[in-house]
Amino acid sequence: MSYEWDVAINKAILNNSPKVHKILEENPYIKDVASELRETKNRVLDDIDAYISKTQKSVEKLGGHVHIAKDSTEAMEIVKEILGEKRKIVVSKSNVLYEIKLREELENEGMDIWETDLGEYLVQLNKDMPSHLVAPAIHLTKDKIGKLLNENLDSSINENTSAEEMVSRVRKFLMEKYLAADAGITGANAIAADTGSVLLIENEGNIRIDTVLPQTHIAITGIDKIVPTLKDAFNEVIVQASYAGYYPPTYINVTSGPSATGDIELQRVSPATGPKEFHLILLDNGRKEAINSDIRESLLCIRCGRCYFSCPSYKLYGKDFGDSPYTGPTGIMWSAITSKKYDKSMLCMHSGGCKEVCPMDINIPRMIERIKFRYMEES
Amino acid sequence: MDINKKRIEKMRDLIFQNLMDSYLPFPLDTKLYSSWANNIPNSGDTVIYTSYMYQISGILKRYEALFPKIYRLNIPKRLMTASKFLIKPKDEELQRAFRILKSITSMLSGSGVNFGYLYDQEPYSGALLLESGFIKEYKEYGEKLYSFFNSKGIKNIITVDPHTTNALKRYKDFIDFDIDVKNYLELVKFKGSGNYVIHDSCLYSRAMGMYSDIRNKVNNSGLSIDENYLITSKEMGSCCGGPLSLVSAQDSEEVSRARAEKLLSVNENVLVMCPLCYENLSPYINNIKDLAEVVS
Ligand code: SF4
Repeated sequence: MSYEWDVAINKAILNNSPKVHKILEENPYIKDVASELRETKNRVLDDIDAYISKTQKSVEKLGGHVHIAKDSTEAMEIVKEILGEKRKIVVSKSNVLYEIKLREELENEGMDIWETDLGEYLVQLNKDMPSHLVAPAIHLTKDKIGKLLNENLDSSINENTSAEEMVSRVRKFLMEKYLAADAGITGANAIAADTGSVLLIENEGNIRIDTVLPQTHIAITGIDKIVPTLKDAFNEVIVQASYAGYYPPTYINVTSGPSATGDIELQRVSPATGPKEFHLILLDNGRKEAINSDIRESLLCIRCGRCYFSCPSYKLYGKDFGDSPYTGPTGIMWSAITSKKYDKSMLCMHSGGCKEVCPMDINIPRMIERIKFRYMEES
Repeated sequence: MDINKKRIEKMRDLIFQNLMDSYLPFPLDTKLYSSWANNIPNSGDTVIYTSYMYQISGILKRYEALFPKIYRLNIPKRLMTASKFLIKPKDEELQRAFRILKSITSMLSGSGVNFGYLYDQEPYSGALLLESGFIKEYKEYGEKLYSFFNSKGIKNIITVDPHTTNALKRYKDFIDFDIDVKNYLELVKFKGSGNYVIHDSCLYSRAMGMYSDIRNKVNNSGLSIDENYLITSKEMGSCCGGPLSLVSAQDSEEVSRARAEKLLSVNENVLVMCPLCYENLSPYINNIKDLAEVVS
């Protein structure tokens, strides 16, 4: 454990854990919503193909397109086909985008692609990987950030520059990127099968711009994000935000197909001001296989990131406890699902706090135990 | 952090072979380790079961330190079972373990529980196999263990430490293991005094869900307990580092040191309920006690 990481993780815990505890105490309804959501998500897993096709129909009815990708390679082929000649891209924080190595591949193709979440932008400048699902740059100190911005963005920034000034300078830079972008690529926090809506929560406002300003919006997410109704999707994002320590979330973005207007004789015309094209890429990448396995429960994870802060292995190893972007207790499960990587489970101390704090009541220690068994059994 | 799977496999194979040959993970002087008891009947369908955990906790680290050497030197398996690898605990460590076991025994008797003891016939529980992910070996050894208990007519087992309790309770998830397993904390009432911070056993308090029951019993006993949400709650309380020693002794010690520091920020007197937690934390804490040392 480096001294820097030790300080960073202790600060993060101090700032986050009591806050989440308070949110849940003051809003007892959230726990009820969470347990209802667990049931709902389990129902979807029981009948995943039906929910995928329902989602597909709903999105197409709105004038959007749905693509099904069985793995990362297929997902990237679809993305490249949609992008065609488009070279300027803005993206918002998403672990699935890391899972399919989207930024890396598009950068290699010479595209001008920028992370617009501040934490992710810093991770991008640092040629690094995120250290937490929700707070990707908690491993970077303000001094380090000052240095990164000085070297990569503006030589007048240094470690004495205030955080406010740093944020404002990045905002200016990103604004130019938004205005020039041909496409905005996002993940999704929930997908409503009945309406085809993609829900995204955030506090910075970048996702709102990523999904509205560029003329093409591509949302890429795992099939585990599908819930039956728009109401369920709102439930999922509220639970996720609350357990991540953001209540109320500053923005909840709902995208139901490309932009449209009914201002001329109430006839629906699309596009209007926002994107002309809307694409939803639904990624399997091991998820369906996991439904029928002994680690099925892992798929209920809504990626709030709370389990990280109750985990002694994460506190010790940081993002080395897992395989980025899937780190921490939940990362051990997601690495097993999406890349069949099992080795880091051996670093789990079965402390069990992860299970206690999980909104989906996932028996994470039991899942990790089974992943350990897989690791020891594989030759 | 790289994981040396070959070394882990080697350790697994050694432990497993020892267990299948002798019911012990490595050579142990079972006569010595069972000498704490003398007037408990060596019969009955209910037994108190130590799995030698309190008695050997002080030497486990020395065995662990031996494993990398065995791996590097590639010492043949048959030599590992030889008595030259018999490591003995320090006398004061052993006397402390004996006092704890006697205290637990007298709390059980005082609570009206009747039980026997297997003395030097007692087998090891298999906890190390389960906790290290050696599932195939855990199941196979469990079957052998179950036959052993059956052959002795044992139907109820009273455990005294979390690792053994967990290992025995979990056999049911994998194999036929129809034996009722209760931990002594479920059966006893006790009184005590003093002001402490509790370092929970992760297995008792979270895996087995005993957090509130333990808090209730301790708080009603006369002990006063200091709490801190980030350090001692069920949600945020953390491990002593022990389970990591299989992969890295150094990292395990780092976790122990950090945990001790946090506990000491709440109270300088620390209470544990597990011999391994004691072993891992005691280098960094002056006044650390097992619950059975402070209540009766
Ligand atoms: S496993 Fe549970 S606590 Fe961890 S990120 Fe997923 S939903 Fe949140």
